[in-house]
Amino acid sequence: MILKSKLGIGLFLISISFFGVYTLNPDGPNRILINLLTFAGIYAISAMGLNVHFGLTGLINFGHAAFMGVGAYTTILLIPHAAGREGSLNESGLPLLLAIVIGLIASALFGLIIGLPAIRLRGDYLAIVTIASSEIFRLTVRDQEEFTGGVYGVISFSDSFQNKRPKFVENLALILDVSVGQLWVAISSWVIVVLLFFILKRLQHSPWGRTLRAVREDEDAVRALGKNAVWIKLQSFMLGASIAGLSGILLAFNYGTLQVEMFVPLLTFYIWAIMILGGVGSLSGPVFGSILFWSFISETDQLASLIFENADGQQIAGVRFMLVGILIIILMVFRPSGIMGKKEELLLDVK
Amino acid sequence: MIDQLGNGLLLGIIIAMASVALSLLYGVTRIVNFAHGEIIALGAIMASYFSNPRTSRYIFFEDLSPIGLSFEISIVLAIFICGLFGALLEVLVFRPLRKNDFGNIAVLVITIGISIFLRHFFLIFASSKPQGYPLELQRREQYFIFDLTPRDAKLIVFGVIIMIIFGLFISFTKVGKQMRAVRDSNELANISGINSDNIILYTWILSSMLAGAAGIFQGMINDVRWNMGFLILLLVFAGTVLGGIGTSFGAMVGGFLIGIVVQVSVALPFMEGHSEAKNAIALSLMIFILLVRPQGIFGKKERIS
Repeated sequence: MILKSKLGIGLFLISISFFGVYTLNPDGPNRILINLLTFAGIYAISAMGLNVHFGLTGLINFGHAAFMGVGAYTTILLIPHAAGREGSLNESGLPLLLAIVIGLIASALFGLIIGLPAIRLRGDYLAIVTIASSEIFRLTVRDQEEFTGGVYGVISFSDSFQNKRPKFVENLALILDVSVGQLWVAISSWVIVVLLFFILKRLQHSPWGRTLRAVREDEDAVRALGKNAVWIKLQSFMLGASIAGLSGILLAFNYGTLQVEMFVPLLTFYIWAIMILGGVGSLSGPVFGSILFWSFISETDQLASLIFENADGQQIAGVRFMLVGILIIILMVFRPSGIMGKKEELLLDVK
Repeated sequence: MIDQLGNGLLLGIIIAMASVALSLLYGVTRIVNFAHGEIIALGAIMASYFSNPRTSRYIFFEDLSPIGLSFEISIVLAIFICGLFGALLEVLVFRPLRKNDFGNIAVLVITIGISIFLRHFFLIFASSKPQGYPLELQRREQYFIFDLTPRDAKLIVFGVIIMIIFGLFISFTKVGKQMRAVRDSNELANISGINSDNIILYTWILSSMLAGAAGIFQGMINDVRWNMGFLILLLVFAGTVLGGIGTSFGAMVGGFLIGIVVQVSVALPFMEGHSEAKNAIALSLMIFILLVRPQGIFGKKERIS
């Protein structure tokens, strides 16, 4: 019964925010809605990965942006692309699906590399190590210009993804009057969200998933029962990392370009806000959280430009981020379990 | 490598000041304060707001011109405001949280929220343009083996004096001793008749003032930016963790080391042309230290896994 009412609250809030999008943007609401849903889908995937870390296992990961980045960079650099200042096209490349699989494995391995030293540390130390690792990743990618394109980024890689597009997407895009490319990214990411939801649901109720939650609740008890708690935490870290990698790949295809500045620590905090808003430890939480978060964000910009008349674009965006900060504070103080989460499943204190 | 040592010393003293402040706060309150960087930036931005002449090209909050006080008064005012701000944070946010038994992960996430809020408030207040102080340019001179401007040399001296005063304060004054007592055991301190709420308030004020001073120093050797606090925050964390989080002397040494490593690593042979990645070296050093000696160089052994 409680679950049903929570679902009701979630759906109610989402309908309100969609209504808001339609009334605030009378001309071309479809375009804005598809844009919103694309980002919501991609960030929902990422938040699902973070939820495996924090919600299920209780690992405090502040380096989520780097996991997204590793997946994105590995995949994109393996398919045909153009990188760097000159941006000459590199025609040769692996098929997309193979590249994605390698990207996901790379993300998982990166999770393993960070996890090996860090996972034994107490929660607040883990937070510092993961955020530091994510900055090391970002600075390294930025620095290795001949390989990753550095600050100039990577472009011209969308074709590998867009030529997999089925015919019906084009017709649908014509009807809705939206960009075909983005619609295809949106559809792909929401299909992945649904698939991931069912996979994680199975996993959560499997013996493995129960062990994860047992690690979160009482690591010593798990050890006493003969399970290798460190290895289980590492597995969770790798699984969450490769889910994040997948969302990173989709994010790159959505932008059509890959910039290292996409993976700043602020991205990690976005995903945290989404996870907390939706509900830590709940499987559908990240999905609801993501849609609400992006509706909230897309509606604040207009509000901000009304308040500050002379502000430049960056300052307008600043208002949005200020609101994200307030959102995190208010949620954490008044409703740390978010919309869908259960309070008793929340790990807010390290032992 | 030698010519980078002066810069390393300069950055080292700044990071040491900020690290000591962060470490003291962690020791007394157990808060991993991600908003520490924003207090650093607050000091720098406030000093820039007070000191620049009214007619300068810096505009705050759309059409607010700077105040145009003398630089010395501006520094004092800015540090005072930082202390006040720390006190406000404690009284309005962290004391109620402590009274309601919020877990330390919840508090950590709240400090992140505060950090994001404040950083973008600074973006709106001070705009995205890098700013500076009304100081004349100076030529570099030779001090012993260090290559510094006279102002940089003065900063190092002032930094050392501030650290010494801080050390004396924490070691010999009553409040300092009480801070260390609360750090070692909050309950025992309470039993001995120490009002730990007051001590935590003083800790917030002291920590914020030190952070603000570090921010002003950083603004003087570089420029003042809305996101300068976040840029330096991870180095401050690295310094704190390197020396041992919760310690004062350790954090100071760790901060110095991190500052020197960051600047000197530019001169390493394999870093040629990769100066952008210098922070990555310092952060890797921190992770390495956590691997081999998780409590930091000067930290006491405690359970951190």
